[in-house]
Amino acid sequence: MSLETLWLALLGLLLAGYFVLGGYDYGAQMLHPFLGGRTKRTSRNAALDAIAPFFLGNEVWLVAFTGVLFGAFPHLEGSLLSGLYPLVVAILVGLVLGNAAIQLRGRADSALGRRWWDALIVFGGALPAVCWGLVLGLLLHGVPRRADGSFHIGVGDVLTPFVLACGLTTALLFTTHGAAFVTLRSTPEVALKARHLGVALLRAAGAVGCLPLLLTLFGAGAALTNRATSAVLAALLAAALGCAWWSLTRGHHVRAFAATCCATVLPVVLVGAGHYPYVLVDAAGGGMTIGHAVTDGVTLKILTAFGVVLIPVILAYQSWSWWAFRGRTGDRHPSYF
Amino acid sequence: MSAADLARLQFAATTGIHWLFVILTMGLVPLVAIMHTRAACTRDPVRRAVRERMTRFWGQLYVINYAVGIVTGLVMEFQFGLSWSGLSKFAGNVFGAPLALETLIAFFAESTFLGMWIFGWGRLRKGVHVTLIWLVALTAYASAYWILVANGFMQHPVGYEVRYGEAYLTDFGALLANPSALVALGHVALAALTTGGVFVAGISAWHFLRGTKEAELFRGSLRLGVWVSMLASFFVVVVGEMQRPVIERTQPMKDAVLENSGVAEAQARLVEEHGPGDYVPWQDAIRISMDVMTIIGNTVSTLTLIAVVLLWKDWLIRRRVFSYVLVAMVPFPFIAGAGGWVVREVGRQPWLVHGELKVEDAVSSVGTASLAVSCTVFIALFLALAVTNWTLITRFALRGPEATQLGATEPLPERHTEAPAELTY
Repeated sequence: MSLETLWLALLGLLLAGYFVLGGYDYGAQMLHPFLGGRTKRTSRNAALDAIAPFFLGNEVWLVAFTGVLFGAFPHLEGSLLSGLYPLVVAILVGLVLGNAAIQLRGRADSALGRRWWDALIVFGGALPAVCWGLVLGLLLHGVPRRADGSFHIGVGDVLTPFVLACGLTTALLFTTHGAAFVTLRSTPEVALKARHLGVALLRAAGAVGCLPLLLTLFGAGAALTNRATSAVLAALLAAALGCAWWSLTRGHHVRAFAATCCATVLPVVLVGAGHYPYVLVDAAGGGMTIGHAVTDGVTLKILTAFGVVLIPVILAYQSWSWWAFRGRTGDRHPSYF
Repeated sequence: MSAADLARLQFAATTGIHWLFVILTMGLVPLVAIMHTRAACTRDPVRRAVRERMTRFWGQLYVINYAVGIVTGLVMEFQFGLSWSGLSKFAGNVFGAPLALETLIAFFAESTFLGMWIFGWGRLRKGVHVTLIWLVALTAYASAYWILVANGFMQHPVGYEVRYGEAYLTDFGALLANPSALVALGHVALAALTTGGVFVAGISAWHFLRGTKEAELFRGSLRLGVWVSMLASFFVVVVGEMQRPVIERTQPMKDAVLENSGVAEAQARLVEEHGPGDYVPWQDAIRISMDVMTIIGNTVSTLTLIAVVLLWKDWLIRRRVFSYVLVAMVPFPFIAGAGGWVVREVGRQPWLVHGELKVEDAVSSVGTASLAVSCTVFIALFLALAVTNWTLITRFALRGPEATQLGATEPLPERHTEAPAELTY
């Protein structure tokens, strides 16, 4: 494997990590008004308690993704972010509000103040979830690139059945994933509620997820370079959703969460592997190849020397933080958010 | 306003507000780490309890402040690609590497470890818990280093060569040892410690004015704050002056504006080198900011030195007027910090990468309408967040240690009041 493919894989790993970890954050954020637990009189919320110790460590996966995008693929970064300008701004607005609201909600003095933060927490989960889905849809479908390689998405590009269906599917997927996480982490009664919600959401995600698939089969959806790989990945996604549904209805919480993790990772893999060696395609079938996107060889070698050490270290201390805060949360655990 | 102006305003607002929170984050975290270490090393249970409350009180203020720092930092990371794709086109091979390394080495670790520290009270072993806050402090400063390596390349590009209109990295060591980055790191770190020290001293003094019950807690905090701010503010002035020769050598126009002489000659020389154009940055803003920073730096340095002397026999607390001075001093390091930022960044104009790429040539081909909307939204959002955050910091700073939520398990009495209500379900 060449160095540039390795860095594309690393970029994919960071985005996939963000989708898994940020995904359950957004899901729990959207569901938290329904999964508060019994302690109505205090400021505690069971769903927020479940994500709390991991929240700060989850969001940085996105920051690392952007950093690596700039460091290793500067030409893709400039073109991609400015081309998707309105969507990226919307994602950022959602992230800023959701992030601040989660961290400051516990500092509110009154129930009214908390309700405001709660509304922002839901909004800050829903907006990025939907917009990431729209971004995925656009990338799968191909963007309107000009001759000089730049592009700008307009309202017309986003408001197509395929892109909208991708947005809705991703939002439902993240919500389901959040429900599966709360099922794993919360007290039994909250977990039961989350499980029921999760099963219902899985059905919805499965139903809505058929739309992009059908649209692609009828030629109005994704324009993929590697058809066979994409078909396998789509089948795996369907299998992951099925496995999640089967496990959740039978009470296998760990298995269900593992399945929703796979389901949130697979769209990222699909965008990367489905288009390879393109990193950005236009609807006409052309696009920016990895060779055009990647940084100079000298820079890439230096980054690799750091990456070989850093990536295992990052994975180690992130795993340590998951291990240190494993198990179910309860009322006696320190709460802060 | 042109697209370039809007993009510039959006970037300035994001960075400026980010910096005002970062300066306190960097200033407070070593103090919190010192307090936590002292608490962990204390054997006497009563004194240990006081020191633990001290850590949690200041730690909570630090964590509240961190919320705005992280969200503005998140937006910063995207700004380059969003509105300045010309920068990645020209300097992506060089400029991207330090940013990527900053996220992988510093930001990632800082955020993960802070999350663990916040929720680690009563759950992690003491040694591990203390190590975590030191790791957070270390990575905060590592983050500052990498950001200044990237920023140093904008101020004084080194270690690269231009081939076919694109910069290529030739000497990574030169990029890392850029004097424009290293001296600035020293200055920024000391400015942050001054801010943190003055903040801790000022709030402690306020509690003495109010006649606090936590005299031991705030006496300890006051001593630490006064000592740190005295040492840091002395050296921040010294290191600040050390930047002048670097500027003189690398940025003649900024130097001419600061000296207020030779601006016309510098302009003529730059026209000769880079073709016709206006190479004079916004002179008044730079000079006023420089003066404000210098005056505040010297005043804080002098006052904290006097304060250290007055720590003897607690004169600082016994005479109310001294305490009032300490309280009044709290906002000034922030103003000086903003001034320093203006001198460095406005003084860099019209260049994005000095001598190589102008700001107006780097702006993305994004529509003016999109930029106007995003600029308005971001500025409104960040101002609202900044005001909310400062309100919360002030509220929890003034309430004192008994209102600290960080590290407190949920108060159990509330469960008693809930029990009868449950019977009616």
